[in-house]
Amino acid sequence: MTDQELIAKLNSLNKISPDQNWLKSNRELLLSQISNSGAEKLAVWKIILIDFSSALKSASQPVYALGVFVLLLVGSVFYSQQIFAQAKPNDSLYIARIISEKLKLNTTFNAQERDMLAVQFATSHAQDISTVLSDPQFNTEENKDQVEKLNHSFKEEVNTVKDRISRLPAKVKKAPVALLVATGSEVIIADNAKDGERIEIAEKAQPTLEATSSNLAASSSVKIENVESDANEANVILDEATKLFDSKDYTKASSKLKEVDEIIK
Amino acid sequence: MSLNLVEKFKDKQILSRLKNRDKEAFIKIYDENVEEIHRFVYFKIGNREEANDLTSMIFLKTWNYIQNKTLVDAKTLRALLYKISRTSIVDYYRENGSKMTVSLDDEDNNIDVIDETENPSERLDQQSNLALIKRMLPLLKEEYREVIIMKFINDLSLDEIADISGKTKGNIRVLLHRSLNALKELVEKERPL
Repeated sequence: MTDQELIAKLNSLNKISPDQNWLKSNRELLLSQISNSGAEKLAVWKIILIDFSSALKSASQPVYALGVFVLLLVGSVFYSQQIFAQAKPNDSLYIARIISEKLKLNTTFNAQERDMLAVQFATSHAQDISTVLSDPQFNTEENKDQVEKLNHSFKEEVNTVKDRISRLPAKVKKAPVALLVATGSEVIIADNAKDGERIEIAEKAQPTLEATSSNLAASSSVKIENVESDANEANVILDEATKLFDSKDYTKASSKLKEVDEIIK
Repeated sequence: MSLNLVEKFKDKQILSRLKNRDKEAFIKIYDENVEEIHRFVYFKIGNREEANDLTSMIFLKTWNYIQNKTLVDAKTLRALLYKISRTSIVDYYRENGSKMTVSLDDEDNNIDVIDETENPSERLDQQSNLALIKRMLPLLKEEYREVIIMKFINDLSLDEIADISGKTKGNIRVLLHRSLNALKELVEKERPL
């Protein structure tokens, strides 16, 4: 007899099974025994809950972990800034607000938008510092050190606003602005969007184009002037706010900062 | 990939339900394993009535174990049933003071064989094979008989047998080889020429 034959014969023994009546009666007996020891029929909602959690757990661990990480990252970028926005400089959550704002700044890839956001955040910080210092319960001798720190922070925030604002008009100036100047029979197009600034001369201009081009030229110049004047105005207001802050008129300093915020928006 | 996920899901589901004392989940475990465990016990002790009682006790012990101890993986449930079976059989031997030494059941207490073949000659051959193996199995050493039952009758994997018996896979391979040779020798001796 070969090993194969012997194994085949052994395999055939797995057809041996216990008596069916015994199987049924023993099943009933076991059910009653385990029921006595606390077994129960689970409610449908509990089974659904178990199925749901089992489905979650059965997803492979690295994929699951990665999913949770991505969700947390996206969630923290989009929602944490809103959640912590109300935190004041004397709150314990203020550091979370600063981190979430930095996170948002670092995930903003457009430089102009980033500068705008930085201006808004810094203005908001300066406003909050003013609000906190205007509170007589906080601004006491006991909190002298903290008040001093906040005074210093205010100056830093104002400098940040000034610095970021100074970058904003420069970017606007570099934005593509086409200047059309119509002369008697020619149209000159000046485009400063590229480094090699170009001037094109086209033949005979239509009367309608003449009007349009002069309008466009006018509006572009006005736009640049507006941005520059906005920046100048904001700087003036910031100086005023700083003076008011130094003279401990925090409420007025705060309202001046609100004006800066509105100008930038 | 998706099959793996389905299996994982089923394992987690049954484990959670058992931990929540779900009797339906345990009865499902019973339905899936009772015949296999009964067969294991029967071939180990050689008496059907005793095998019935022991099998019943094994499932109750398993239920109590799951409720009182931490079961991490549902895949180990089958191994757990075998481990409890082994200790229950050892207890049984200790209480009765003897081991199976002669044969599996006596002539007037034959076990039921569910035979799917309709051919009478094949059926007769099957019966004679069974009778021969039945007579020879009890003559094997305890550990030889155990691995033969688990591997060739109940179709457990080498990993499962190693886990149940607390030996390495290499040891189980060697043990299987020796036990098959020993059984073959016994069968050859007994086989009519």
